[in-house]
Amino acid sequence: MRRPLLIILMAGASISIAGCTAIGPKPWEKDLMARHEMLVDAYPLLIAADEHIYFSKEASSGGRGFAGGGCGCN
Amino acid sequence: MAQSSYGTENNNFGPGVAYSQLDAALLVYQEAGGRVSATEPTLDLSIHGADGRVLTGGLVADAVSGATPNGAVPSTVSQNFVTPLKARGSTASVTGASGGSTIIHLPPTPGQLATAALGRQYTVAPNTLPVDKGFRDHRGAITLGWSQPLGAISDVGFGGGFSRETDYQAISANAHIAQNLNSANTTVSLAVNSEFDSSSPFGGIPTPLTVMNAQWKTQASRNKSQLGFVLGVTQILSRRWLTQLNYSFDRQSGYQNDPYRVISVVDPSSGQPTSTLYESRPDNRQSQSVFWDNKLDLDPFVTDLALRYYKDSWGISSKTAELSERINFGTAFYLEPNARWYQQSAANFFHYYLVGGQPNPAFASSDTRLGSFTALTYGAKLGFALNGRSEVYVKGEYYQQTGNGHPADAIGQLRQQNLFAGTKAAMVFLGYSWDFH
Repeated sequence: MRRPLLIILMAGASISIAGCTAIGPKPWEKDLMARHEMLVDAYPLLIAADEHIYFSKEASSGGRGFAGGGCGCN
Repeated sequence: MAQSSYGTENNNFGPGVAYSQLDAALLVYQEAGGRVSATEPTLDLSIHGADGRVLTGGLVADAVSGATPNGAVPSTVSQNFVTPLKARGSTASVTGASGGSTIIHLPPTPGQLATAALGRQYTVAPNTLPVDKGFRDHRGAITLGWSQPLGAISDVGFGGGFSRETDYQAISANAHIAQNLNSANTTVSLAVNSEFDSSSPFGGIPTPLTVMNAQWKTQASRNKSQLGFVLGVTQILSRRWLTQLNYSFDRQSGYQNDPYRVISVVDPSSGQPTSTLYESRPDNRQSQSVFWDNKLDLDPFVTDLALRYYKDSWGISSKTAELSERINFGTAFYLEPNARWYQQSAANFFHYYLVGGQPNPAFASSDTRLGSFTALTYGAKLGFALNGRSEVYVKGEYYQQTGNGHPADAIGQLRQQNLFAGTKAAMVFLGYSWDFH
């Protein structure tokens, strides 16, 4: 069960890390990345609310962050 | 530095600057058909030091009420369900009942209660999904966190949380470490989380696969522990493209039943329910997921596409795709439509019902949330920058689950019933974010 997931993960991580010396903008090209909306957690309360609802209505949780929900709603 | 309409104000809130951020939000959630409604205010405060240290704190409150499917199948005749009432061993008189329930007197039961007590009975009309309308709860939660650079390490941190509701309590602790590489275009991170939960259901802990009854159970509570980690790589691929790949593993051990949920046993030829048993789930669950998020800034458009694959030891696998498109109208206003598609397979112990005359399996649950279904979410968000320091936003979403309510092997009268008790819900989220020095 775990093997395909691990292969995907390791392949992705290898591509990212091995290629990182060549990939990515120069510091003076990060104007767009500096914008608030480009943060992966730009609106944490919104993400938390959505994840909380999905946790209480679906069998899957986690991925973006930790699994579970700290409540008895599932 | 962002320019402000106030002219001389310092509106620089980036790295290397000490500032604080306050986020306040209100979620209002309503399910169709008079089912669950919830109101949830939240408040987050983070204090950023110029040296990269960050202290965060959060408060959440929840008020939830409404009708909840109890897990039993509908029938062509009306059905009665009994459940405990009031405190353990209570014989207090009750003058009224709510949610379509009536109060019943229980005879003394050998080995359980020495004297007669009171129970609650509710009746479900023919050809109607059985729901318990007596569901009501409140929750309060607090979180605290600390993170900072440490020597050559870009960021280390730890945090904790405490959540309490009438019948449930959760304590969690987490720690993380992250390293920036390649001129901060690459970030590798590892986070671990542990959680300890205690379930103290109203009426006590029912014995799995025993007949639903109104007696208080002798065992008051059971615990569950959880340990998990998230390994992540975030990579800035170009001036416009940010990608994040996470692998998560999670392990839960202990009590995982829904103590209020039951499963019908039906007659093998007529399909009529003959008894109602408490559900039974395994004590152990391991899950893994791969999550891949992409953010693409094609100014003034910002696209976010996130994909997730999830699999667990209960036999459930799921796929999730989320897409949002933010459209900036200048710097003061934006519109962001979003959509989400989700599909899961059923747990290997999911059954719509059990068939009489056959031995019961070790584990059985008719909880639709453990069944096979597809869910769609549509929504849109509107945001307004009040000035360089604060933003107010509103987001509306509609959520709908679609499943198979008419399985091919349904027995007798169950062929004419809808056995899928999925959720349709609308939610509105109001938020306010304020950066200040």
